[in-house]
Amino acid sequence: MLNNIKKDFNTMTWVLIPVAIAINIAIGQIVVTLKLPVFLDSVGTVLVGVLCGPWAGALTGALSNTIWGIAIDPNALPWWPVAFFIGLVSGFMAKGGWFKSWWKVVVTGFVVALTAAAASTPIAVYLFGGITASGSSFITAYLMQTGLGVFQAVFSTSFLVEPVDKITTAMLAFAIVQGLSRRFIARFPRPENVEDEGGANQTQLYIAIGVVVLLVLFAAFMLRNILGG
Amino acid sequence: MAMHERLSFYAKRDSILHRLNPLTKLTLVFGFVLISFFAPFYWTPHLLILSGVIPLSFTGKVAREYFNASLRLILPAAGFLFIMQALFQPLEGEELFRIGFLHPTKESVMFAFANAMRIFLMVSSFTLFLLTTHPSELMSDLTRRGLPGQFAYVIISTIQILPQMQAKAQTIISAQRSRGLDTQSSFLKRAGSLIPLVGPLVFGSLVEVEERAIAIEARGFTSTKTKTSLHEIPDTNSDKMIRWILAALVLISLALRLWLS
Repeated sequence: MLNNIKKDFNTMTWVLIPVAIAINIAIGQIVVTLKLPVFLDSVGTVLVGVLCGPWAGALTGALSNTIWGIAIDPNALPWWPVAFFIGLVSGFMAKGGWFKSWWKVVVTGFVVALTAAAASTPIAVYLFGGITASGSSFITAYLMQTGLGVFQAVFSTSFLVEPVDKITTAMLAFAIVQGLSRRFIARFPRPENVEDEGGANQTQLYIAIGVVVLLVLFAAFMLRNILGG
Repeated sequence: MAMHERLSFYAKRDSILHRLNPLTKLTLVFGFVLISFFAPFYWTPHLLILSGVIPLSFTGKVAREYFNASLRLILPAAGFLFIMQALFQPLEGEELFRIGFLHPTKESVMFAFANAMRIFLMVSSFTLFLLTTHPSELMSDLTRRGLPGQFAYVIISTIQILPQMQAKAQTIISAQRSRGLDTQSSFLKRAGSLIPLVGPLVFGSLVEVEERAIAIEARGFTSTKTKTSLHEIPDTNSDKMIRWILAALVLISLALRLWLS
């Protein structure tokens, strides 16, 4: 086990990690510039998880939030365990072969979203008492006022917000992997994770985008029901 | 906009705080944070800020930078957290006023105040640490104490790459805009312009990965031999004493919490 983990950390991995952290932060800021309603702040983490294994991904996530918190926005600091699990889970999903075609990537994104929701709930509840400095806390606050417990309110909110974000993140990471040359990918510890399966790529991509759009509509519908009801 | 800010907070001065061993300062930060969470008294975080962090910022001769960073970065975040929690935390107690479904109680305001102060303490003591410690000094001290060199590489290299990456992102945004890329109109157009912005940025930076790997490999990156350091970082007896006292204080506050609750 420990030897396997060690094998995942070759020189390419150690060099990729800082670049991936910078990618996380830079894409996060581009998204802010474009005023899109997602975070997309873990594309690099997922990328490392897929190419270099779960533990490298987990390390990238944890360091990414720490450095983000220290250097740019202090609010990111307490959430490092969430990023840790995002990297870990995307790595394990890729190891299980769930990062080889568009529809599988959507599933990976969804599993990562569930993990992120589960990991962020205890932090939001115990550190912040349920209400954090993020905008989605308005939903949590409303749910709590309707009599829902803190845990349920926080988890429902993340469950509404996370899937769209994490599936888009996984799809973006997959698009990046597909744009890289095979020779380059072969230098990383786990090139077999992203071996091409072939098949109808174009159609699958459209279906994947369709799923994301449906999820956005679902979240919007639920929000109207919750806030308008 | 945070994009053009320099990344290293470090302010070069000559003070007692600057001369302390980096690990001692790190212990100080974690000590403050842990005590503020463990100690069972309501006013602990407030007192630690007033009698700990702020006087230390004067000792370190970085008070101006410290207040600047606190006002600009930390206070808005802590303030927002305070308002959100004071309004939305459904705690039972004496009701202060009522707007719509919002009815903040005295308890929820007190709770929000303590929580916001805890976050403020956490971030501002870290800021003080970064103001008085050069990142590479911290890393070489921690490497000497047994932190794997690879970790030090990741941290230092991220700190170097990040500003370059942010500058690159700005350049790409301007370049694509001048070619007519839409970054301001409808939602779908903005979502569509994500790819032409992210693509060049990511592929451009991944190209450098291989070259960098070869370069550090040639400098003995994976060698397991102990490496010598050109720059010695002092670790005095008073450093050690401060660290033990802080550890003891953390344990005492933890014991008090367990004992009183």
